[in-house]
Amino acid sequence: MHHFPIVHWQGLNIDISAFLAIIISCVITFVLARLAVRNLSLTNPGKLQNFLEWTVEFVHSVIASTMPLNKVRPYLALGMTLIMFIFISNLLGLPFGIVTEVHDPIGWLGITSEDIQEEEHYALAWWKSPTADLSVTSGLALVVFILVHYLGLKQNTKHYLKHYFEPYWYFLPLNIIKELAKPVTLALRLFANIFAGEVLIATILMLSVWGIPFLIVWQGFSIFVGAIQAFLFTILTMVYISQATIHDEGAEH
Amino acid sequence: MSWHWETFVFAIVAFGILYWLLNKYAFGPLFGIMEKRRQLVLEQMNAAEASRKQAESQMAEQKAALEQARKEAYEIIEQSRLTSSKQAEEIVQSAKAEAARLKEEALKDIESEKNKAIAALRNEVGGMSVKIASKIIEKQIDEKSQEQLVNQYLKEVGSK
Repeated sequence: MHHFPIVHWQGLNIDISAFLAIIISCVITFVLARLAVRNLSLTNPGKLQNFLEWTVEFVHSVIASTMPLNKVRPYLALGMTLIMFIFISNLLGLPFGIVTEVHDPIGWLGITSEDIQEEEHYALAWWKSPTADLSVTSGLALVVFILVHYLGLKQNTKHYLKHYFEPYWYFLPLNIIKELAKPVTLALRLFANIFAGEVLIATILMLSVWGIPFLIVWQGFSIFVGAIQAFLFTILTMVYISQATIHDEGAEH
Repeated sequence: MSWHWETFVFAIVAFGILYWLLNKYAFGPLFGIMEKRRQLVLEQMNAAEASRKQAESQMAEQKAALEQARKEAYEIIEQSRLTSSKQAEEIVQSAKAEAARLKEEALKDIESEKNKAIAALRNEVGGMSVKIASKIIEKQIDEKSQEQLVNQYLKEVGSK
């Protein structure tokens, strides 16, 4: 498997490929959104504006499926950012990869001659999906985790705190595990799907010419997986927010 | 697979910045325009509904006006028919009366002419008979008593 280029700088371990991927994903997302709203038109929207409006409506319906319609509006921008950033991130690693083979020790990347001698081909991968990095997906999951519990505490204090002791007080540990499992599964699901996709692409590449048909099929499927994972991450975020903030009177036992 | 907290923090910060930027420069205006469009569609639908109602009421008004006009026209025709027949009647009546009057006058004229002619004839006959009698009897009678005598005879003749 490839190694990632990690700069050791003032005690920090900076993964250049992940940083680069995050920056590129953010820039693509922002540029796409800006292009779409460049010539905003009330009556005659352009193609990109139309597409973005379709996305907004899609996200709106996704959020509306998890919570009452009148509470959707504040989360619309969050849902849009999540789905766009994750989808673009998922696709980023698909079209190509940049791999360099290292033969000599590189000081600023912390690669010593022992490292190179341990493996026959010591290769560095410079290009990947940011979501194929557990650090990134766990970062997103942490954002969601904090947001969910902050909103729950702020908007629905009594019922939010009460739900830890339901149905009986000694269910508290189970409830805490449940809450902790949410961001963990969120992060791991996204990371594992995209990482597995990229590993399989790397593996298919080893087949050289014979792998081309598999590569075509798998890349197509990876686009599908990327879309599904972006959708899942968004809808699960909204479900968690809805669970924490909205107290359904009808569900009282 | 390794986990680096630097990447973790960077991802969170990058996502935060992206969210802020998108919200400010892309989604804000976009949501605004979508909301505006929603309002516009709503307004236009309301306007369409209003104009439809207006058109309906105008249609009804026009129908009523048409009905009224038709009725009036019918009445006018009926009236004119009545007056025209009455006038014709009057004209015929007056013509008849005129004719009768003319006839009456003519008859009167004829009567008076006849009387005049009779009186003239009577005078003529009286004078002639005086002349004839004075010539025949050659008797000296004053003309006045003679005429009285003849008139008397003639009256007797006329009454017989």
